[in-house]
Amino acid sequence: MPRARKGALVQCDPSIKALIVQIDANRNDIILEELDDTHLLIDPTKVDFIKTELNRLLSQNIYDPLDEEDNP
Amino acid sequence: MSATLFKATVNEYLEDLPPQVQSRLYASPATCLAIYRLLPKLAKFFIMSMVFNESDISLRDLDRWVKSEGKFQFNEAIKSMKSLHLLIEGKTGQPFMINLNPIFRSSFRNALTGGEVNNSFGNVIDSESDIVSMAMLDQYAADKWETILHFMVGTPLTKTPSRNVLNLLTHSKLMENSSSGELQITNEGFQFLLQDVNAQIWTLLLQYLRMAETLQMDPVDVLNFIFMLGALELGKAYSDVGLSETQKVMLQDMRDYGLVFQKASNAKKFYPTRLATMLTSDTMNIRTASGAMNSVLKQGNSVKEDASAALAAEEEAAQVGGTTQNIPDGALILETNFKLYSYSNSPLQIAILSLFVHLKSRFTNMVTGQITRESIRRALYNGITADQIIAYLETHAHPQMRRLAEINLEKKLELDQNCKDGLQILPPTVVDQIKLWQLELDRIISYDGYLFSDFEDFHEYHLLSTYASDIGVLLWKDEKKRRFFVSQEGNAQVIDYAKRKLKKK
Repeated sequence: MPRARKGALVQCDPSIKALIVQIDANRNDIILEELDDTHLLIDPTKVDFIKTELNRLLSQNIYDPLDEEDNP
Repeated sequence: MSATLFKATVNEYLEDLPPQVQSRLYASPATCLAIYRLLPKLAKFFIMSMVFNESDISLRDLDRWVKSEGKFQFNEAIKSMKSLHLLIEGKTGQPFMINLNPIFRSSFRNALTGGEVNNSFGNVIDSESDIVSMAMLDQYAADKWETILHFMVGTPLTKTPSRNVLNLLTHSKLMENSSSGELQITNEGFQFLLQDVNAQIWTLLLQYLRMAETLQMDPVDVLNFIFMLGALELGKAYSDVGLSETQKVMLQDMRDYGLVFQKASNAKKFYPTRLATMLTSDTMNIRTASGAMNSVLKQGNSVKEDASAALAAEEEAAQVGGTTQNIPDGALILETNFKLYSYSNSPLQIAILSLFVHLKSRFTNMVTGQITRESIRRALYNGITADQIIAYLETHAHPQMRRLAEINLEKKLELDQNCKDGLQILPPTVVDQIKLWQLELDRIISYDGYLFSDFEDFHEYHLLSTYASDIGVLLWKDEKKRRFFVSQEGNAQVIDYAKRKLKKK
């Protein structure tokens, strides 16, 4: 008998998927299943958390021209 | 032009009214005149030809007036008159015979020839003590309107508009309560700010009409009053005698928007401002909000500063801005390095820019700033889209930027005749980056739903997945591992189908 499992399907680039896997590595409560390179099944209540966490991680790699001017 | 666009929506509002309400509206001569002003040119022409003619007219006769190139305008004109029920079937009931709505005809005749107008054009009070200067009215209107716009942009230290203005702003979804409980500008609100004043007032008034309906106010009363305001004369005092109770309530609201002015001592009289008198007029010689504010600022400055300082500043402005004469206020230059220079003195323009630009310094006739990832993201979080930002920058681009873009395009065309690039006024790097920043906001797309797995054989998997994709709820599938994902809404249907099909076996 087939089984239906509740979750949120997340579609993203492979690079973003890698980041989500990394976030999950310490907590193990986000990813329910890895589907393929660009799809993940995650806990539906954690979608917003993932989004903010991704924003935080990605902002670390951004060059901000204002920083340079403020502290020469 | 955005103004015509908004006039069209006033017409749409009128067209949506039931015929009974329309006939009650047409009882007021001032309203008829205002509606006449809002009609297309050809419709005006037809109405003039019919207004003093009682007998039926054949539609073919009207058609003969129009050249074959003008068929489109002809159909538009007839359509707009029919949907307003200005044109009705002829008395004889024969096909293609038409006549003018009798109520509209008699009211419109009265408006033109000055018959019984039933105070629908307002009661003028002629007395020396009631005179208010136009400059004062302009300043009052600009001040009120500016307060609303400033509040929307969120300029710190501005006065908060009155409660019913706030109600209207939230009701029309131009602003909404943010999580912190404060009012915050919305996506629509930003679009609203980019329009000219006339369109802005109409937007608010249309929202007012919609709100009035829920408050059990009679739309006929409300519309009559709005159209009456449009027909009043600037600088004259009008008495509130003859206004209905609804209209007296409206008078208070219109005062808050800056459409009418009342002396604190005497609530029986009111003075229409320029904002009101330009409602239904076609002339666009009114000043823009920022223009009005500039003059207010200038007045304020000349009072505050002593004459010599003002003179020095003016001289300086003349030197610096020697070439910037005749340049629209707020013209801006955007460089490829994301730096932005805006030639504007108006606090409102600057406040709008600060919604998505990191402003750095302010000079006598300009501000400088930089577009950064943070500034754009802040705007995107507030619901402003990248396209809106780009459109704003493009419409406010300095003429010099436009010229440069034209020269570049000519050069390109010389090199390559088949070049299909459009005019690129803004540096493409900046435009692309702003769009990329928007894309970056949603790096992941998530759907709620259910993952189906553990199928016994391929047939079972195939049966259900084809059904899910047939009803359009399949979001993802993996044939090798026999798994698929359906959306939340489609799940119940798929499960029902599975129960039916799999039980039969």
